[in-house]
Amino acid sequence: MLKRGFSIMLIFTLMLGFIAVPMDKPNAAEPVTLKVGWTAEADSISPFIAYSISATEIFKLIYDPLVAFDNELNPVGRLAKSWQVSDDNLTWTFTLQEGVKWHDGEAFTAKDVKFTYELLQESGLGLYAGSLDGVTSIETPDDFTVVIKTDEPKANMLQMTTPILPEHIWKDIKMEELETWPNESPVGTGAFKFVENKAGEYIKLEKNDDYFYKKANVDNLLLILYANTDTMVQSLKIGEIDAAINLGAHHVKMLEKEADFDVVSTATHGFTELSINTWKDAKSKGNPLLKIKEVRQAMSYAIDKEKLINIAYGGQAAAGSTLIPPSLDFWHYKPTDEELRTYNPEKAKELLESAGFADQDGNGIREDEEGNELNFRFMVRSETSEEVRAGEMIASMFEEVGIGTKVEAVDDGLLGDRVYDNADFDLFIWGWGTDADPTTILNVMASDQIGSLSDSYYSNEEYDQLLDQQAKIIDQNERQKVVHEMQKILYDEAPYIILLYDNAIQAVNKTKWEGWKKVEGVYFFSFNHENYLDVKPVTAKEEPATDSGKSDAKGSAGEEKEESNSSSAPVILAVIAAAVILMGILIYRKKKKGISIDDDM
Amino acid sequence: MDKMYLVKKLYQAFVTIILVLIINFFLFRVMPGNPLSMIMRNPNASAEAIAKVKQLFGIDQPIYVQLWIYFKQLVQGDLGLSFMYKQPVIDVIAEKLIPTLLLVGVSTIIAIIAGVLIGIFAASRQGKKVDAFSLAFSLITYSMPTFWLGIMLIIFFSSTLNLFPTSGMVTAGKVFGNSLDHAIDVSKHLVLPALTLSLVLIGQFVLIMRNSLLEVLTEDYITTAKAKGFSEKLIMKRHALPNAMLPMVTIIAINLGFMIAGAIQIETVFSWPGLGRLMYEALNNRDYPLLQGIFLIVSVCVVLANLCADIIYGYLDPRINKKT
Repeated sequence: MLKRGFSIMLIFTLMLGFIAVPMDKPNAAEPVTLKVGWTAEADSISPFIAYSISATEIFKLIYDPLVAFDNELNPVGRLAKSWQVSDDNLTWTFTLQEGVKWHDGEAFTAKDVKFTYELLQESGLGLYAGSLDGVTSIETPDDFTVVIKTDEPKANMLQMTTPILPEHIWKDIKMEELETWPNESPVGTGAFKFVENKAGEYIKLEKNDDYFYKKANVDNLLLILYANTDTMVQSLKIGEIDAAINLGAHHVKMLEKEADFDVVSTATHGFTELSINTWKDAKSKGNPLLKIKEVRQAMSYAIDKEKLINIAYGGQAAAGSTLIPPSLDFWHYKPTDEELRTYNPEKAKELLESAGFADQDGNGIREDEEGNELNFRFMVRSETSEEVRAGEMIASMFEEVGIGTKVEAVDDGLLGDRVYDNADFDLFIWGWGTDADPTTILNVMASDQIGSLSDSYYSNEEYDQLLDQQAKIIDQNERQKVVHEMQKILYDEAPYIILLYDNAIQAVNKTKWEGWKKVEGVYFFSFNHENYLDVKPVTAKEEPATDSGKSDAKGSAGEEKEESNSSSAPVILAVIAAAVILMGILIYRKKKKGISIDDDM
Repeated sequence: MDKMYLVKKLYQAFVTIILVLIINFFLFRVMPGNPLSMIMRNPNASAEAIAKVKQLFGIDQPIYVQLWIYFKQLVQGDLGLSFMYKQPVIDVIAEKLIPTLLLVGVSTIIAIIAGVLIGIFAASRQGKKVDAFSLAFSLITYSMPTFWLGIMLIIFFSSTLNLFPTSGMVTAGKVFGNSLDHAIDVSKHLVLPALTLSLVLIGQFVLIMRNSLLEVLTEDYITTAKAKGFSEKLIMKRHALPNAMLPMVTIIAINLGFMIAGAIQIETVFSWPGLGRLMYEALNNRDYPLLQGIFLIVSVCVVLANLCADIIYGYLDPRINKKT
């Protein structure tokens, strides 16, 4: 038995040898494929179901909006060639590109735009429905003109990245099916055609040769899902992938040392906040002491954001202040030195003292005269180790100024339930991502969003009025002033303590690929898809082009890791041999039990 | 084999599965977290839209009606609609079951063969260097953090030696000319995860095999056999091993069931598209139908593995049959 065991092992080792050896063989005829590793799969590829940021990245590649963003975030025409707005700012006329074809060959017309917008409005489903607020009618006088009327001036008309969908496909989907229709093979007008989506593995797209805007330099685009970022980094290092998104803080130093890669760690359009229950309604299940502004402000003085970032986030984030991240520098309001509340525990104590909170019973927690302690429930999300650590650190920082907390790590589902169950919470840490247009994120703090988007139950009439006002100001400079004013109010009132602006950590291989361009500091998940179109393999310098006609972008650079088929024969033999031997052994063992042969060991 | 024995075991297995189904049904529903908020992440959804979705996923009914519907559908082979994927649960699971079975199957076979061999090897040379070495090897691999071991193997075999791909089950996006190329590609991707899982599993097999064999070797009938003048090898093979294998069968049966779902760490390190990761995701998203489906599969696997063990027992140890 021992001997046989060894022969099995020997065969197994041999098999490994055959499988392992021939890995690399560049093949110039292979298509050029850009492989990008990421860690968060799109929740759906239907614009009516998806809510994840990963999904929007895919929509950008497959579909086109009427108006897109250029690298400086200015609106530029995409499916719309040009547009004009009436003097009363209520009627928008878009002139569309002619001759645009859907991926299945059908012609794109104004009817598709009308259909998409109306379907989104009617169903109210998905990420994009909200951006159509205020649109009252859509008309198509001819195939290439869309007239959109609004009841009030619509400031974000040109900042809607809503993907335009083909009517001839979606018209067959019934309204009640929209929530579940998976859109398994999306058809768009975009730069890439959909090839396949292997859930849990990868999404494959191919270049749209008829793309009207700008053709991609790569033939195929693969978005490969990694369940683990450490593995993704190894994969990037050995060239299995060409770029990696969603890396961890500890990968930055590691990759900076390598000459082949360019690693970026830049603030994204998102933030992580400490959300405070400020609900004034009697139904609130939160601690009423949090309605006191001074308590909230004292909390923000008590938090050492720099320390938090350095320890819990590996230094890869920027200290937070106001609602709109500084990466959207036009909209971001930078508090003046007077307004800014930096780490100052003494100031925190002073504020609490003056608000009537002192530690009378000597248990380390301050209370007011009636004995109500500054003792709060504090939820952190168990899925994110950074946030759990941040929660623990904040708890101890609060302790120093006499605020007690009970930290509880919960999952997203439970956190959501508590928040929406009549505000059954005091404090929690979570985050938001923002659009290029400020309305969506500003909307989170609106009074009428209580029970909906609002998760601090903040309510302020002045703020609400400004919110309405800014949505109607077409002059963006005028609008900016209002948006700044709103952030100033929020910062002072502190329903959120914006802890930090999260960094996106991404790396690209710059030896194999050229043309990488950052938009707002990042390569991927930016507001446009230019990068996917511009990047191309570095053309090999040593190899003189054999065929001048073919010496274009289609070099061998991107395809080094494709296996060749020449190694098949020995492997087939080994596999078959192993299988036969294994079967033989099994049958032999079975027989022997019955017949009882003597020792053969 | 005694027919009654088999029938009884089958009956027990069936009852167990039914009980597990009922417990699972309620277990997930007492978990905190509202599935509706996960199905419809649209805070602006209208009351009609919410009602429609509730109806579609059957969560508008009282819970006992839901249980009844669940069983009715189950009999028809319908596991319901996944909240998260908005697709039939059976399709979602089927896609992930094969990768898991492949990974767990291959690793277990390797681990069993290697574990039993090393165990015998160690036991028959008790107290010698080989024995000490096998013991050390088993204890080290057994207690090694799976995650860390996986990453180390990736760094060594993929990054340094460039022998195997780091992750995934196939080369992403590759179009295969024939199924053989496909099989080869999958085998390449399988090597590292299977190696990791085998290494993690081998330890306990070696330890149990060794201990059980040592115990048997001290029995009187072994001494008798020795006194009769049989060769060491024959005693080992005919007298000692069959008895020593009994605990092994138990441990293998227990393991098989758990490994189906328990390969989460390996699947995560190697981005293997298996059931373990799916379960984790389903749990996070309160996807009751999917969770129920996965638990059903896992329960059936555990019960079947135990049933197999019972049958093999009867085969290895004729006394068991007669007792019934």
